[in-house]
Amino acid sequence: MPVRVVESSTPSQDSGLESRTGRPPPPSCSLLSAGRAFSGTQNVSSLQKDEAWKVNVRIQGIDLDNGYLCGTMEALNVPLADTPVVTFWEGELVDGNNFTFFTRKWEATPEDDIRHWSKFPSFAPLLRWKEQYFVNVGIDCGLTIAGFYYVCFSCSDGSINGFYYDPNSSPFQKLELKCIPGGCSGYTFSSYQLL
Amino acid sequence: MPASAANNRPEDLTARLGVGAGAAQGEALLKALREVKNQIIGNKTKKLLYLHLGAVPKIVSVLAAAAASSSSDSGGISRGGDAAVIVQAAAAIGSFACGVEDGVRAVLDAGAVPHLTSILSHDDEKVVDAGARSLKMIFQSELAPKYDVLQEKNLNFILSLLDSDNENVTELAASIIAHSCETNEQQKALCDAGVLLRFVSLLGGSSNQKDGCLESIAAVIKNNPEVSSRFSCTGNGKALNALANLIQDRYPHTRLLACKCLIAVGHASPCYVEELQIKTKLVLVLVELLEEPGRVGNEAPFSLKTLIADDEELHKQALSVNAIEKLCSILQMSSVQARRLQGILLALAELCSKLEKCRCQLMSPQVLNLIVDALKHDCMDVRVAACDCIRNITRSLKNLSAGCLSSEAFIVRLVQLSHDPSTSVQIAALGALCNIVINCATRKSVLIKCGGVSQLVQLSKSMDSALRSRSVLALRNLMFLADITDKEFILKELTLCTLASLIYDSECSIQEQALALTSDLVDGCSQSVKHVLAEDSIILDAVMRQLQNASSIGVCIQGMFVLSNIAAGSESDKDTVMNYLVPPHTDSCIPSFTIKFLQSKDILLRVASLWCFVNLTDPASVGSSRRVARLQDAGIVLQLKSMLNDPCLDCKLRVRMILEQCMELETAQA
Repeated sequence: MPVRVVESSTPSQDSGLESRTGRPPPPSCSLLSAGRAFSGTQNVSSLQKDEAWKVNVRIQGIDLDNGYLCGTMEALNVPLADTPVVTFWEGELVDGNNFTFFTRKWEATPEDDIRHWSKFPSFAPLLRWKEQYFVNVGIDCGLTIAGFYYVCFSCSDGSINGFYYDPNSSPFQKLELKCIPGGCSGYTFSSYQLL
Repeated sequence: MPASAANNRPEDLTARLGVGAGAAQGEALLKALREVKNQIIGNKTKKLLYLHLGAVPKIVSVLAAAAASSSSDSGGISRGGDAAVIVQAAAAIGSFACGVEDGVRAVLDAGAVPHLTSILSHDDEKVVDAGARSLKMIFQSELAPKYDVLQEKNLNFILSLLDSDNENVTELAASIIAHSCETNEQQKALCDAGVLLRFVSLLGGSSNQKDGCLESIAAVIKNNPEVSSRFSCTGNGKALNALANLIQDRYPHTRLLACKCLIAVGHASPCYVEELQIKTKLVLVLVELLEEPGRVGNEAPFSLKTLIADDEELHKQALSVNAIEKLCSILQMSSVQARRLQGILLALAELCSKLEKCRCQLMSPQVLNLIVDALKHDCMDVRVAACDCIRNITRSLKNLSAGCLSSEAFIVRLVQLSHDPSTSVQIAALGALCNIVINCATRKSVLIKCGGVSQLVQLSKSMDSALRSRSVLALRNLMFLADITDKEFILKELTLCTLASLIYDSECSIQEQALALTSDLVDGCSQSVKHVLAEDSIILDAVMRQLQNASSIGVCIQGMFVLSNIAAGSESDKDTVMNYLVPPHTDSCIPSFTIKFLQSKDILLRVASLWCFVNLTDPASVGSSRRVARLQDAGIVLQLKSMLNDPCLDCKLRVRMILEQCMELETAQA
């Protein structure tokens, strides 16, 4: 989700940590699937004010072989925008094969990685989400999507917890989403198949 | 006009050919033959003109007469004269057959082959050469007769040619074998007769001889594990070493043919061409040959595709030697010949079939535009190859999301190709459409607007199962995350009757896609459930029937997701599903398939079944307690309890969810 650029944060350091953790790939998780929708909030509070935006997320596709997923994110009560702001994001599944815990890009140092991952329970699938572009507003809308999210997914109830990371924004902006079942009284599933 | 020029007009020359009254004799005949031969060499227009004038049968009759005269006891001068006439006649016949199908037909119809064959045993080496060269031209054509080597006389004839010291004759033998060898039995007969050994010994000859032998070796080995193994063992690997050396020959055509031979060995008897080193070398040689002009450059991409087919490691090797850059740079040249273009696109399609890195390399607008342009090519094979290329590029979710392939014109073109008179093109276009419609509302909308849905529905009723299968998959993918308006539109075009008949299709894979389409229809859309229950529940009945038949795991999984999605709906929807799963008032309290599904080794089938019960026991629903009681009576709760330690975490979590819901309902009742 786009945030306003804010002065802050610790300078990045490179400790040169390179080793993989050897963590086994996450188990298959039916709630982490294409078509699944989530809803909740992102805390975008700064030193100046408390603020939270309502957020809706939809996973549009998952490619487990390549540890890739993608989807859209919709922020609902963005003060600078007349309408909800929708972005397209791409995700990396930390599976120890395609992607490791160490981000190695987006100005995130290994220390940043450790600081963020350690806030999550150890057994959940972990992901990084990076918004790639605005779907329905221009880049001059006064918002930025320079950062990315450290995300933890709960297989048991499909809830998502995350932290937005951007060295130029307030640290540890929390993302909390609940899985939307889909049906009026239960969980629905849909799928596609690539040929 | 000078007399000699007037006499060299095709009509005049043709009139002087032949035997008997009116035809030229002796030196005049020889001159006429020589003049015709000189005029037609390399000149297709002249060849066609002389064909039209009926020159071929006349020249063949001259050849026949001269050959007969030459073989009888006659004086030295006459025989010498006959030899000269034979040489010119044979050369002219060979030239007519070179690269002109009508010419080959005329030559064959005139009965040239037996006469040319008869002069192969002539005393005069020049006559033998002329006969052999002429026959080689004929045997380059598909129209040439095939020699069945299972007939002893044919085999003996070929072996006699192969034993000759004359290179033209041995090359002829190689041509005949390459042209005629079709069946495993023929391959074995040739191998038993020692033909492959002889070819290996001839690999040290001239370039033409090498090439002829290589083509024949490939024909004898192709798809024959026994013959290929025997060849590979020849001389303790001497044969394979000879081929390996020839992939570095100075002539590109020889390098290509040597690669093809090794590829043929590798496919027929993989253990002999197993080492990555030799395969990597083959990749490198073929990638270099891509840039050769003419036939070599045309054929190299086909050989590359065959070599790397389904082999991810070789895809990586090809990527590392810049295969994609080379293929793309050739693609960007102006006026690429159709055969080469087809080969390039097929090679690119193969490279994109597995590796994300390869797909991403093709995502430049320039390259994509060229591939899209190829969709409009006159040649059907090029259109098919372009569709296959697009299908494989769009196996990448990342590429699909990038929106590069969203232009209206492009999707419209694919839909047009689904109407193509050629079934191969239709199938290929559908393949590309199946992937293109995923994940992008814009592309879905374009497809719907340009009449794509009605065409997909039409093709879903085709007698051809490949067309049915791909069109149903495309409809399924179109339905995924479609909005309610589009879902209703698709269903209206498809009709419940057609959907039901697809669920009952004779092919399991089509049943599965139709069920998945139904599941996607109902997903997140309680309004759509009414369609599944409409017309006396024709769709739900079909789903249940197929679940009971359980023709494949995939069918069962998708069927359970349909039920699960319906069970996420209203109270009445849940009861409907419940009544199908656990029919009331039945004597047997154990439903046949649900317990079996929960006990399945297939994780996804267990998961799909469990979600159905999650939805049926939703504590927020009024009738859930009632349903739990029925599940208890049916033994399903007991089955669920036995799954508390399911090896799959996802299943374990759902089982716990269901049992917690049951307990919550029990507590609420108490």
